[in-house]
Amino acid sequence: MSQVTSVQADIASEDVDRAILYGFIGRMLQAAPTEEDLQAIRGLQADDTPVGQALAGLSTAAETTTAEKLLRAYEDLFIGLGRGEFVPYGSYYLTGFLHEKPLADLRATMSRYGIERSEGVSEPEDHIAALMQMMEGLISGDFGQVATLDEQRQFFVEHIGSWAGHFFKDLSATDTDAFYAAVGALGRVFMAVEADAFAMTE
Amino acid sequence: MTDKKTKDTADRRNFLKLAGLGTLASGASVVTGGAEVVAADADAGSGYRETDHVKKVYETARF
Repeated sequence: MSQVTSVQADIASEDVDRAILYGFIGRMLQAAPTEEDLQAIRGLQADDTPVGQALAGLSTAAETTTAEKLLRAYEDLFIGLGRGEFVPYGSYYLTGFLHEKPLADLRATMSRYGIERSEGVSEPEDHIAALMQMMEGLISGDFGQVATLDEQRQFFVEHIGSWAGHFFKDLSATDTDAFYAAVGALGRVFMAVEADAFAMTE
Repeated sequence: MTDKKTKDTADRRNFLKLAGLGTLASGASVVTGGAEVVAADADAGSGYRETDHVKKVYETARF
């Protein structure tokens, strides 16, 4: 099993950054960050672009929190159906139920790309973190080859665009934790940029 | 590639750059301190792995 590096020289720099951001946001939503992650995030130096400002907000929020605090916040926000503040699955966000058509549609797409869950994992695949990581993989070629822009657009429109923006907007407004609200703000900005950018080459 | 497509692609690249995408990884201007960090994160991969030539698996053990 060979590890495929996400950042490849033959991918345009803005696409490398897209892959990095998708991966980064995915990891922030997959599990609480470690103290090392936080230290790194505190060191971010951002410019005054929309994405840069959102990263700056996250960096600021990281200053006043700890990994321990975020572990609890993560559980409060995302863990436990009906108990977490958010149920970050596409199917749930779009229909109010898990395992509905949006999940079935995603599984059909994943099967086309030869992507599947690890054995023993029972989480539905339409978790926001999984979708972010799938986009990262499509852009950086982790699934064998770099997906074309048309393929990326199709995946985004079919499985992410319809709900992720709403999810991130809701997350950005949470009072539960300032760090995760900043993750929400970053995701919201990024999803809007992605939607506009995809629309430019349709 | 048609002229329109070339122009659309260039427009898209410019748009992404203005939004702040294009210099995170290189650390040229946007995220100097963070470039190392974010890139290091990226090196960890997407969480999806190739297990053989056909099947790709993603790891959700940390979910």
